[in-house]
Amino acid sequence: MRDLPRNDPGVADHRSAWRLLWWMVSRVRSKLAVSVLLGIVWMCSAALAPALIGLAVDRGVTARDPGALATWSAAVLALGLVQAATGILRHRYGAHNWLDTAYGTVQLTVRQSARIGAALPRRVSSGEVVSVGTSDIDQLGAATEIVDRAIGAVAAIAVITVIMLNTSTQLGLVVLIGVPLLLGLVALLLRPLQRHQEAYRTRQGKLTTRAADIVTGLRVLRGVGGESLFASGYRAESQELRAAGVRVGRIGAALEATQVVLPGLFLALVTWLGARLVLAGDITAGQLVAFYGYTAFLVPLLRNLTEAADKFAVAVVSARRVVRLLDLVPDPASPERPAPMPEPAAVLADPRSGLLVRPGVLTAIAASDPADAAAIAERLARFTDSEARLDGVPLRDLDLDLLRSRVLLAENEARLFAGPLRETLGGAEDALITAALGTAAAEDIVDALPERLDTAVAARGREFSGGQQQRLRLARALLADPEILILVEPTSAVDAHTESRIAARLGPARAGRATVVCTTSPLVLAHADHVAYVEDGKVIAEGTHRELLTAEPRYAATVLRQES
Amino acid sequence: MILPIATPAEVRRYVRGLFRRHPRPLGLMLSLHALGALCGLAAPRLLGELIEIIRDGGTTGALDRVGVALAGAVIVQSALVYLARNASARLGERVLAELREEFVDRVLSLPIGTVERAGTGDLLTRTTRDVSSLAYSVQWAAPEILTALITIVLLVAALLLVSPLFLAAPLLAAPLLWPASRWYLRRAADGYLRERAAYARITEGLAETVEGARTVDALRLHERRRRQTDEDIRGSFRAERYTLFLRTVWYPIADTAYVLPVVVTLLLGGLYYANGWMTLGTVVAAVLYMQQLVNPVDQVLSWLEELQEGQAALARVIGVGAVSAAGGTGPPPRGNGIRLHDVTFGYVPGRPVLHGISLDIAPGERLAVVGPSGAGKSTLGRLLAGVHRPESGELTIGGVPVSSLPPERLRGEVALVTQEHHVFAGTLRFNLVLARPDASGEDVRDALAAVDALGWATELPDGLETVVGEGGHVLTPAQAQQLALARLVLADPHTLVLDEATSLLDPRAARSLERSLAAVLAGRTVVAIAHRLFSAHDADRVAVVEGGRIVECGSHDELMAADGSYAALWRSWSS
Repeated sequence: MRDLPRNDPGVADHRSAWRLLWWMVSRVRSKLAVSVLLGIVWMCSAALAPALIGLAVDRGVTARDPGALATWSAAVLALGLVQAATGILRHRYGAHNWLDTAYGTVQLTVRQSARIGAALPRRVSSGEVVSVGTSDIDQLGAATEIVDRAIGAVAAIAVITVIMLNTSTQLGLVVLIGVPLLLGLVALLLRPLQRHQEAYRTRQGKLTTRAADIVTGLRVLRGVGGESLFASGYRAESQELRAAGVRVGRIGAALEATQVVLPGLFLALVTWLGARLVLAGDITAGQLVAFYGYTAFLVPLLRNLTEAADKFAVAVVSARRVVRLLDLVPDPASPERPAPMPEPAAVLADPRSGLLVRPGVLTAIAASDPADAAAIAERLARFTDSEARLDGVPLRDLDLDLLRSRVLLAENEARLFAGPLRETLGGAEDALITAALGTAAAEDIVDALPERLDTAVAARGREFSGGQQQRLRLARALLADPEILILVEPTSAVDAHTESRIAARLGPARAGRATVVCTTSPLVLAHADHVAYVEDGKVIAEGTHRELLTAEPRYAATVLRQES
Repeated sequence: MILPIATPAEVRRYVRGLFRRHPRPLGLMLSLHALGALCGLAAPRLLGELIEIIRDGGTTGALDRVGVALAGAVIVQSALVYLARNASARLGERVLAELREEFVDRVLSLPIGTVERAGTGDLLTRTTRDVSSLAYSVQWAAPEILTALITIVLLVAALLLVSPLFLAAPLLAAPLLWPASRWYLRRAADGYLRERAAYARITEGLAETVEGARTVDALRLHERRRRQTDEDIRGSFRAERYTLFLRTVWYPIADTAYVLPVVVTLLLGGLYYANGWMTLGTVVAAVLYMQQLVNPVDQVLSWLEELQEGQAALARVIGVGAVSAAGGTGPPPRGNGIRLHDVTFGYVPGRPVLHGISLDIAPGERLAVVGPSGAGKSTLGRLLAGVHRPESGELTIGGVPVSSLPPERLRGEVALVTQEHHVFAGTLRFNLVLARPDASGEDVRDALAAVDALGWATELPDGLETVVGEGGHVLTPAQAQQLALARLVLADPHTLVLDEATSLLDPRAARSLERSLAAVLAGRTVVAIAHRLFSAHDADRVAVVEGGRIVECGSHDELMAADGSYAALWRSWSS
């Protein structure tokens, strides 16, 4: 079995859902060809078993011929072994195809999400993309897997049809027309059950959500009370679910009973008709036994076909979702023909606010409305398109990836990814990591971890407090060591002691490179080389913290908030 | 693992007790299933009879009679199946509802210290995944296994009735099927657990990339995310390959074991018939029984896995009940003064976080606690709120040890609000009155006004009746924090511990909130753990905590005069 995943998932044909499905099936075509072949042999050998048992009864048992009995019994056994062998081989190939498709879809989704980047949350809800991972990959995998079983079932049905019509045209026709009819009837009954089950599952999901809500808020509840309110609410909903469950159970029981009575009556009909044929001398006793077997076996065979139709219907919906994702293009995007990148130590300018970011300077933006500072930061890093320029070249004329390698925007919303802490921080030599952690006053966080830098971090870094997360984020940004680093409110969640440490260390750590800090904290502003005070989106005063405190009363009011 | 897991013996005892509570429905269900399975045995027998009639040169009339009997058996069987399924659904739903309601009751009475230490993750898994897995077991695995087992027993009995001589056939398959299935089932549960865990990692990794797409873009993590995904997939493939290996061993052996009895029955039947020990009809019936046996045996084996999982889930669900209920039964406190004397505490034995803290907090005093991260400020707050019990030393409210108070009493005395906040799914009003169910509309509005939240609250689409929380209107973290404070105003304890309770608001809003809150809380004791210095400036007294000790304590002016670390910090902040 070849190892998965593939190094490269390939280039998907996403012109339509059906084309994508076809692309996925043809992606695994060589293995699929083998599994289809195995599927045919597997299903046909199962289909032939009743015939061989009938022959053993007729030629061996009834004829009292020990030699023939031994031969035909051995044939039944041999066929059983063939069935076992082809069954497991087909399963292995089928499983591989399933996984190959599911994994390939994940790879495509991740690569595409990373490519679209900052625009992704604006274009699709994250829930939609995540559901590609939770359900669609399975559905697409299942669709490629069922191909071989469906083709095998068609082959087996053909084999049974030929045998039955050859044995007795009358009985054969009864079976061939009766069984699909039966399945149709059962399928009709299945619909209301599925509807009720769906409704039940939704209700069950809601109850689970309610319980999860209780658990998540348990500290609050235990702290301020309200337990009995929640307990009685939960109990009421639980009893409603129970009533719904009993209703579903009743429909399920009816369906189960139907699945006993319809095939059962049909089997009785076939057996009775067959017996009359045997009595008339048209067929043998063994052939009657075989007919009994065919009728029973046709049911699962036909189910394979309806299952395949269902799976493909579901897979098309999944494929549509994947297509929607693959259709997205990055925004803002790199220009077709990017301008050459300016030399290092370039000046970054935002004409709209009048802000200049000079190399080697720790620039602080203090805005009366923090949203203004964040907007400037977004423009400077080209997360939104604007007239911002790097050494006079409009940012929109530059290759986006190269620009990102030089200008880094670090915000509090930035995500900490799961993995060993070392990787979460960006993975570098220990000495560099230690230095960055030192600047971010985050050594104590690492010291408290059982395996220090090798400790596994959970998604979102949720085991860390808000302040700890913020310091780790800062360390990660410092470690990336870009030419221009833009920090938005990097110390908003840390205590004054820690904040003053970070403020003092930031400048020396970034010596020689440009750093922008959006903040209104006097502890940080005091350490900035240059402070720009922003009101209504414009820089209205510049200077050092001390200069501005004396020269600009509005600045003083904003940062000190004395009786504002 | 902080929350316990029940032992297999406890699980067995619990399950027995569960069914003993409902002996009549259980008996009814079992007998209906048995009767239904019994009717299912008629067909092969009647087919054998048909063959006998033919061999004896019987009439079509005799054939027709058997045909009618065949149809009759099927109809009776289906009626019984309906009743049996219905009965098991009723019983199953009842047991399930009892299980989950008991579980939630237990969760709701967990001591807050246990919840704090265990974290929400484990409890959340038990609430969602384990309860669902249990539901699946009760609704599907248990009844399927039950009916299959009954069918097997009856089939073997029928076989014995036809002729005990055929018993050799299934017995021959057993030595093949038994050890192989044991081998498989021993490994399968773990294998599939790993498989699902690995699959979940892929899904989580994908969710991380998607939700963190902006960060991926900013930090150019594309290649890293790609590698991470491929790594997760490799892990999943390893797990999948293992279970595929298990199936590759087990499936062919089981398939062979299923066909063997049929072959042996054919051979034995030929032998017996040739010697005139039995009729052809009997042989045919035996062959058909043998084929029928395959299905229920396969059912039992494939559902056993699910049942194992259900058992594991049950152990985790009822394990929560093993935690002793919260709180003590001490006498009510006399007065509101809080006194800490030489209090030491640590989360891990031998690694104290607080060393010998002594502090008196007068009723109505406003105390600010400042100090660097990790100094033990939050821990001190939790001790004050009775979340944890001091390791040594004394912590009393009105002369009574805090840890001896029952939780209902304790929260009337001290309440804790932290940075962590939770908005319950429900209306905004519901989120507030849970702290005081008898609160009037006026009280609710006053509480919101006290935390500067009445403005945005009334502007919500449906005002106070707006559904918030999971699935509803999304509140910002700052609004959620205001909500938590408004709850406290309603609960109205005499002492409040605010641990960074306004940290998510922007500084200006935070200060305004703290001022309006202070007006409402006049006369209440407030311990505010804060990282913003203006909070300290407004307080009656400031305690500076460093390294688990109170290093400075006094009013703002006193500390400024003392010229210690607080004074240094204040000067760098305000100059």
